[in-house]
Amino acid sequence: MVRVVVGIKWVPNTQAVRFDPKTGTLIREGVPSIVNPHDLDAVELALKLRDRYGGEVIAISMAPPSAIKGLEHVLGMGVDRAILISDRVFAGADTLATSYVLANAIRRLGSFDLIIFGQETIDSSTAHIPAQVASWLDLPYVYYVEDVEELGGGRAVVRRRLEDRIEWYEIELPAVIATAMHSQQPRPVRLSYKLRAKTERRVEVWDNKVLGLDERCVGLRGSPTVVTKVTWMPEVPRKRQVFRGDPREAVKWLIEKLREEGVLPY
Amino acid sequence: MAAVECEKLCPEWGCTDPSEYRGVWVVGELDEEAGTISEYSLQLLTPARMVADKRGTWVEGVLLGYDRGALERAAREMIYHGADRVRVLYSERLKPYNAEVYAKAIARTAERYKPEVVFFAATMRGRELAPYVANTLRTGITADCTQFDVDKDGNLLMIRPPFAAILLAYIKTPNRRPQMATARPNVFPTPPRDESRRGEVVWEDESLLEGIRPRARLLKVRRLERRETPIEKAEYVVAGGRGVGTPEGFRMLEELANLLGGVVAGSRKAVDLGLIPHEKQVGQTGKSVRAKLYIAVGISGAAQHVIGIRECRVVVAINKDPEAPIFRHADYGIVADWKDVVPLLIQELRKLAAERGRR
Ligand SMILES: Cc1cc2nc3c(=O)[nH]c(=O)nc-3n(C[C@H](O)[C@H](O)[C@H](O)COP(=O)(O)OP(=O)(O)OC[C@H]3O[C@@H](n4cnc5c(N)ncnc54)[C@H](O)[C@@H]3O)c2cc1C
Ligand SMILES: Nc1ncnc2c1ncn2[C@@H]1O[C@H](COP(=O)(O)O)[C@@H](O)[C@H]1O
Repeated sequence: MVRVVVGIKWVPNTQAVRFDPKTGTLIREGVPSIVNPHDLDAVELALKLRDRYGGEVIAISMAPPSAIKGLEHVLGMGVDRAILISDRVFAGADTLATSYVLANAIRRLGSFDLIIFGQETIDSSTAHIPAQVASWLDLPYVYYVEDVEELGGGRAVVRRRLEDRIEWYEIELPAVIATAMHSQQPRPVRLSYKLRAKTERRVEVWDNKVLGLDERCVGLRGSPTVVTKVTWMPEVPRKRQVFRGDPREAVKWLIEKLREEGVLPY
Repeated sequence: MAAVECEKLCPEWGCTDPSEYRGVWVVGELDEEAGTISEYSLQLLTPARMVADKRGTWVEGVLLGYDRGALERAAREMIYHGADRVRVLYSERLKPYNAEVYAKAIARTAERYKPEVVFFAATMRGRELAPYVANTLRTGITADCTQFDVDKDGNLLMIRPPFAAILLAYIKTPNRRPQMATARPNVFPTPPRDESRRGEVVWEDESLLEGIRPRARLLKVRRLERRETPIEKAEYVVAGGRGVGTPEGFRMLEELANLLGGVVAGSRKAVDLGLIPHEKQVGQTGKSVRAKLYIAVGISGAAQHVIGIRECRVVVAINKDPEAPIFRHADYGIVADWKDVVPLLIQELRKLAAERGRR
């Protein structure tokens, strides 16, 4: 039997965010939110372990109430229990304050074997949360995990992939792992599961009355980092010379230019 | 910092007094097998020097490892590239590399010497170490920065493109020390190497490791064969996008890259289409390249793509759409179907290469 906690985030689908060059603004209206795609790897790995060993998978997410949809999605994939951690005082948190709330919520869940996170989120891509949660709970942690090959007897063998090698670690449990991107093939949502999740209101909601955390330690107030301003990214000055016409002439022109620049290897 | 402000902060974070913190740290990354320091760590000495000069303080390298010779050489390299002092933590107990052990040891070292700034390269290793160190120190951290500066109050400004690569966010950690950040590889130039530079190498004592026990044990390692230069290290990069469209197209790009002694890369669309593996993706969610010559073929030039080519010396674009944004980000553009241009380009370069061979 295993007890696995998985962390998911409800993020705007950044693929759908467009830029309006006329007004110079980001068009975010109507941009749908999705479960962070890299977290589906984490959910799938958790479900695989439960299918293999029996037990329970609990999904948690700290987010505004709209993220209930994301938790219903993973209930639809077969997660056993889903908890939304949501309170106005948690808003505006940086990764330290977010990981603090998540770690405290996980503590409330009692004993568990593994906490599994995605590698990073598509909206902030910091990859901070897994290590930070490990730090708060003083647990060992491994990043870039492709698979958990063995589990039991208070230990697990995990395989992780780096750029130039594959490593196997034996890790004491409980532990935190972050899954490598694209390492799993997340199973599809089963409509019957999802429907049941909705009609039975399966997503539990924990606010700060439940967690009872000091308001100075959460949300904007508990965040040591502060965003002071946001500007447009300056463009790199380039020559912007463009040739239109006969391809043969174009190639001659280009080689001449590259020669002048001294960037050809011959 | 005034005591009043401290009371407003989370008591569990504790209170740090910025005036007690001095020096800018660069945590160096060693390639244990090659026994060398990562180029990306050396690149960080550029912003570290700038910040230290603005703050009127010094630059320190921090190195951990179990190979005395390699550590010594790496420490010297850091000094030749601008570090004033390098703190070396050498111990058999640091073998093999272990994220939790290294992160805790770095945090201990920072607690002892109180640096005002700690930089890591945002490599795979840097990204797993830095947030654990930051949390152990109960301080903030900003990921994947592309620029740094110092504001009028002496705070470090950490600048990164959030969300969509069109914007830059300026982030600071006003009430906590150290101020921590990881920096994106290949956006800062490696400072010039000067063997006449002198600096101090301090061998730290092993007490910094007391009570730190690895709870993850490395069982085995399998090296992956890597025949070519990774794109982030290549001098010549030929990148293809959705416009190239097919594996045959990419084989032609390969031919062009080979003629230049370079490598093929791609846009995210090319990765999504399975034309190229993710580790060869250029851009925000891929790599930054710093090629002498970057040739973009059938790539539209989305912000998230071109953010990865900012450091390239000369950018060439071949695209059949004259309105494609890539032309704004290129030095030389050819409006044409790549199928008409690339074969000719290969032909001409082959001639040039042969001529040089004859000479
Ligand atoms: C959060 C986020 C992160 C992202 N990260 C990245 C990233 O890291 N890297 C990245 O590349 N993208 C990234 N993207 C995606 C990015 O927004 C673009 O969708 C992508 O770069 C487009 O790829 P492309 O230029 O190959 O394809 P397209 O935009 O479809 O462009 C294809 C181009 O090929 C040209 N073309 C077609 N046929 C021919 C022909 N025969 N001859 C010549 N030209 C031809 C067309 O005119 C067109 O300009 C990211 C997006 C988001 C939202
Ligand atoms: N608000 C959140 N609630 C639950 N899990 C989260 C949250 N934010 C991030 N995570 C998890 O941490 C991983 C890394 O996120 P990040 O550090 O934001 O890049 C994600 O892939 C999620 O698994």
